[in-house]
Amino acid sequence: MARFDHAYREIGDHENIRQIYVYEAPMRLWHWLNAAVVVALVATGYLIGTPLPSYTGDPSTVYVMGWIRFVHLAAGYLFAVLWVMRIWWAVVGNNFARQLFIPPIWSKRWIDGLRYQIAWNLFLVKEPRRYSGLNPLAHIAMLTIYLVPSVVLLVTGFGMLAEVAGHDSWQYHMFGWMRDFAVNTMDLHTIHRASMWLVALFVMVHIYTAVREDIVSRQSMVSTMLSGYRLFKDRRGPDE
Amino acid sequence: MAKVKTPNGFELDDAGRRVVVDPVTRIEGHLRVEVNVDERNRVTNAVSSGTMWRGLENILQGRDPRDAWAFVQRICGVCTGVHAMASVRAVEDALGIPIPRNANTIRNILHLTLYVHDHLVHFYHLHALDWVDVVSALSADPKATSALAQSISPWPMASEGYFRDVQERLKKFVSSGQLGLFKNGYWGHPAYKLPAEANLMAVAHYLEALDFQKEIVKIQAVLGGKNPHPMWLVGGVPSAVNVHSGGAVGALNIERLALIKDVAARAKVFIDQVYVPDLLAIASFYKEWGSIGAGLSGRNLLSYGEFPAQANDDSNDSLLLPRGAIIDGKLAEIHPVDLRNPDEIREFVPHSWYRYPDEGKGLHPWDGMTEYDFKLGPNTKGDKKHIKALDEGAKYSYIKAPRWKGHAMEVGPLARFVIAYAMGKRDIKEMVDGTLAKLGLPLPALFSTLGRTAARGLECQWAADRLVEAIDQLIANVKAGDLDTANTDKWGPEKWPKSAKGVGYAEAPRGALGHWLRIQDGRISNYQCVVPTTWNGSPRDNQGAIAPFEAALLGTPMADPAQPLEVLRTIHSFDPCLACATH
Amino acid sequence: MKNGMSTKKTFYEVITEQGIPRREFLKFCAVTAVTMGLGPGGHEVLAKALETKPRLPVLWIHGLECTCCSESFIRASHPLAKDIILSMISLDYDDTLMAASGFQAEAILEEITTNYKGNYILAVEGNAPLLDDGMACIVGGRPFTDQLLETARHAKAVIAWGTCASFGCVQAAKPNPTKATPVSKFVKDKPVINVPGCPPIAEVMAGVLSYILTFDRLPELDRQGRPKMFYGQRIHDKCYRRAHFDAGQFVEAWDDDGARQGWCLYKLGCRGPTTYNACTTIGWNDGVSSPIKSGHGCIGCSEDGFWDRGPFYERVPDMAQFGIEANADKIGLGAMAGLGAAMAAHAGVTATRRALGGRDKDKETEDQDGQG
Ligand code: HEM
Ligand code: HEM
Ligand code: NFV
Ligand code: SF4
Ligand code: SF4
Ligand code: F3S
Ligand SMILES: [Mg+2]
Repeated sequence: MARFDHAYREIGDHENIRQIYVYEAPMRLWHWLNAAVVVALVATGYLIGTPLPSYTGDPSTVYVMGWIRFVHLAAGYLFAVLWVMRIWWAVVGNNFARQLFIPPIWSKRWIDGLRYQIAWNLFLVKEPRRYSGLNPLAHIAMLTIYLVPSVVLLVTGFGMLAEVAGHDSWQYHMFGWMRDFAVNTMDLHTIHRASMWLVALFVMVHIYTAVREDIVSRQSMVSTMLSGYRLFKDRRGPDE
Repeated sequence: MAKVKTPNGFELDDAGRRVVVDPVTRIEGHLRVEVNVDERNRVTNAVSSGTMWRGLENILQGRDPRDAWAFVQRICGVCTGVHAMASVRAVEDALGIPIPRNANTIRNILHLTLYVHDHLVHFYHLHALDWVDVVSALSADPKATSALAQSISPWPMASEGYFRDVQERLKKFVSSGQLGLFKNGYWGHPAYKLPAEANLMAVAHYLEALDFQKEIVKIQAVLGGKNPHPMWLVGGVPSAVNVHSGGAVGALNIERLALIKDVAARAKVFIDQVYVPDLLAIASFYKEWGSIGAGLSGRNLLSYGEFPAQANDDSNDSLLLPRGAIIDGKLAEIHPVDLRNPDEIREFVPHSWYRYPDEGKGLHPWDGMTEYDFKLGPNTKGDKKHIKALDEGAKYSYIKAPRWKGHAMEVGPLARFVIAYAMGKRDIKEMVDGTLAKLGLPLPALFSTLGRTAARGLECQWAADRLVEAIDQLIANVKAGDLDTANTDKWGPEKWPKSAKGVGYAEAPRGALGHWLRIQDGRISNYQCVVPTTWNGSPRDNQGAIAPFEAALLGTPMADPAQPLEVLRTIHSFDPCLACATH
Repeated sequence: MKNGMSTKKTFYEVITEQGIPRREFLKFCAVTAVTMGLGPGGHEVLAKALETKPRLPVLWIHGLECTCCSESFIRASHPLAKDIILSMISLDYDDTLMAASGFQAEAILEEITTNYKGNYILAVEGNAPLLDDGMACIVGGRPFTDQLLETARHAKAVIAWGTCASFGCVQAAKPNPTKATPVSKFVKDKPVINVPGCPPIAEVMAGVLSYILTFDRLPELDRQGRPKMFYGQRIHDKCYRRAHFDAGQFVEAWDDDGARQGWCLYKLGCRGPTTYNACTTIGWNDGVSSPIKSGHGCIGCSEDGFWDRGPFYERVPDMAQFGIEANADKIGLGAMAGLGAAMAAHAGVTATRRALGGRDKDKETEDQDGQG
């Protein structure tokens, strides 16, 4: 049986590893496309609930709200398609493609790593650790304030879409059941919107920590998502 | 208890047989009436119990005060909108928001429309069957009916053929064996006095009024979007005036104003030519009811006043129906009424299914509370899940007992008209004197079951006249270029004081209505409503004083206690609304 | 005045006997068929049904409510309320309008539920409180819950009039002091049709009754138990202000220029996008208006729990139903601001530490390099 925690690995000081191939091309492509789609969804979603100041002019020539909703719905479909791709890649890709979905909470080493990362971010320890894939703290954040809200956004999004498209639509036949979970359709909007804020928070923290870790923790971050290689800056590697 | 004298001067005697009427029908909501009758079948003791409670006052805690109107409007769908108006007035009072002139006029129009509609429907559909024997109409002569109708009114639907058709329709309906709403009525009861022709005419008008009432409310539909339960707004009215040629149709443009003007004109004709003549005709056969059912009406009357002619001015210079109180029947002395004074309006609960820390005391509504406490007294007959007779010595109603300076008060059209009459308001004095003259009745006949019913009809007519005027006023004002309908200066909670309190008054169709609220940090921290039927239908208070329903039933002669028609007449003359009374 | 089944007459018999010509009858069928959304040929089905079916007994009982559903019902124009109660149904019990009171009234319930077992419609306005064994609503000395259960037992079907009966409505709003409970929670073995709205539109009520009478079954219902033909579309999708919504033209404040031009009321909290009802299609009071047409947003009065989705004037409502007294944006923006500040502080400390400890680190790296 495959060990589900083997994508998780601390690279010790004694290991003379210079770099690891972590993210395959489809992962990287997914990441940046997804990032663009999410930014578009947050921006347009925000404006759906709290629209821009009114436009004057003949309504037959202005379509501001219409476009905002169109972009949101189009990006929403894309977001869903990207998740399908991402899951497919988790099945066929390397271990790092699966890691996000399976937090090895049963692993003592992993829990210890989580403690260490918290301490590190609270400036309680001096030396950063090196990790092959996601570090445990980043992993937890990605699950709780990104993966879970994403699923909620998807379901409530399609739930609303079913309502928007009408009771005779194929969307309603596929997602109308969503309405049974919400006492009032408004609840779908409220849950969707609250989840949007979680994702917005994630994006903020995510970018900050990615850039910060890149600078202070002896390993590459941003470039990893570009080239696929995790570079341990204080290691030469056996081949050099 | 046997015999007691109440502090407000009524003799109660529960020795005789107890008659229970529950449900009292043709009212709004759930009312139970119990009376004791002596060996001559006269009522010697009366118990009025409101038997429903929803807890609206508690539901409002913590909500946005701008939303409150919609909640309290659902206190009642019969006097629809009046609670909403009292509510927006209360919030405007608390926050110091004056409303524009058009908003005042539009509110007056909405409210006058309610008077016209509600009084009309009460008369024909809730009250008429107390006086009109439907079955007797079957034996009327259509020709004589036509002659009768034409002798009292120019209303065109009065031909012999018309009444013949109505009678045919009725005959076939009755012979179908399915009597519907008329099933088990008190037909043939000796207290029915109308000749068959008058009965047939009244039944025809029952149906016409049913068709016509839906037209009247179109005025509310235009200005508030729908009826029942039109839309309201703190700071004014939601219906903006649209003088643009472009854009989607807003609420008010020339076409819409023309529509409401037309409806009002038709309503006035219907009231003048159908309701009022019917009222007088029927009353002339029931003059003895001019001395039955007085209760508190000849003694204590209360009105908060209504229809400010000037926006934001609720002084008696501005109010078309004045504010004031009459105590002990002294018509010459009209007491000023102050809704803010903690010593004037207070609510008691020793006989109500609520709990106060100290039930010997009343609470002014700003400090009021509503805490559910259903329990039955030791002398209750039956058990908790099947009450056979209430124990009025204990708690026995979901209605609280409001008192003005300690007095139980009657409210409603009669109170308003008597106060206006006593203050010498010319328009009202003329209507009252004219009607009494036509019926050949003296002024004291007003203080009765008949007087209450007559005052409602006259007020309906008065309101239809004012309605036509108010619509003309609105049109003139809009034409003069004044388009403002809402004041939004203090719309947002960020512009409100940290804490505030306000009171909103209204004269609902059934009488004096007040909403008191407190606002803390932008949210409602207390909300209390004291409603017309709370006044009229209230149980006894801490002193044992009885209120209008109970007082008015005392002495009522009943032909047959198993067919409580006479009790219904007097109770219906108040137009009770129990959803209102208990809220 | 017999009451046997044998004497029951059909709608057509009754109205022709009442002197209404056949031409009028057919016209009535045509108009009603349109209101009911029956489509082409619908009026013939309706006419046939009304010619052959006896008047349907209806018991209309009232729980905790405001009687506004009754008031709305009598406003019906197509068909007229008068024609419904005189000719189409036999409204044998309705405490708001019936002649009898007291035990004479109660006797009718007994009689109809026995004589017309399984053949009458129970129409319920309002709902039943569970508090204190139901004693927050007492009828005839007994809890209304008893009346509801007893009359429902032998009904053919149950109509829940209005948002009260359908979903609980205002008295069920937080904290629901009486534990007001909708009809469908009591009646499990009978079809219950929810006709929400606070109140429902008169023509919708009339249409529902006509449909049941015509087809002898309930119309097709949606997931909330509402007839699809009247509740199948959002207010927003048929709103005549929709062009302004799509354009991004909103009323920003009451009585502003946009309000006067009839722009979209979304920013002032209009619940049209989350509300299913026929207000913008059939319209109110014979089609004269609708809340939005009068200049006020929809408050969602036909939706379950709409009272607890306020404040009504905020597009983004409070999360009171989740026990939070603020809206998602206030919480979200607050969290963003808090987190932003925390991040700035964190970055500051990081930078300071680096500046202070930087030299050592560089040296360390050099050492390692030297070793390699
Ligand atoms: C809306 C925007 C974004 C979203 C939703 C997002 C989401 C994600 C997710 C889900 C992962 C985990 C991939 C996996 O292992 O399955 C990830 C990784 C990563 N992201 Fe983003 N991302 C966003 C923007 C960015 C940006 C702007 C940057 C760069 C500044 C960035 C840098 C990274 C890096 C460096 C990783 C890899 C972390 C590691 O190697 O441990 N992301 N991102
Ligand atoms: C990261 C993912 C997403 C974010 C952050 C997001 C955000 C938002 C926000 C903030 C709103 C406004 C809610 C309101 O105030 O009523 C909204 C509306 C909506 N979203 Fe999303 N959304 C996301 C994904 C989706 C997806 C996957 C779909 C599905 C197609 C979707 C469909 C919708 C729909 C139908 C609406 C309602 C539009 C309307 O009412 O006119 N969203 N979204
Ligand atoms: N009582 C009462 Fe109302 C009236 N009129 C209230 O304010 O009826 Ni429903
Ligand atoms: S649904 Fe609304 S209108 Fe109908 S009874 Fe309930 S509160 Fe009144
Ligand atoms: S007014 Fe309301 S229902 Fe109409 S388009 Fe705007 S948001 Fe939608
Ligand atoms: S408030 Fe109700 S009446 Fe219609 S427009 Fe909205 S559903
Ligand atoms: Mg009260």
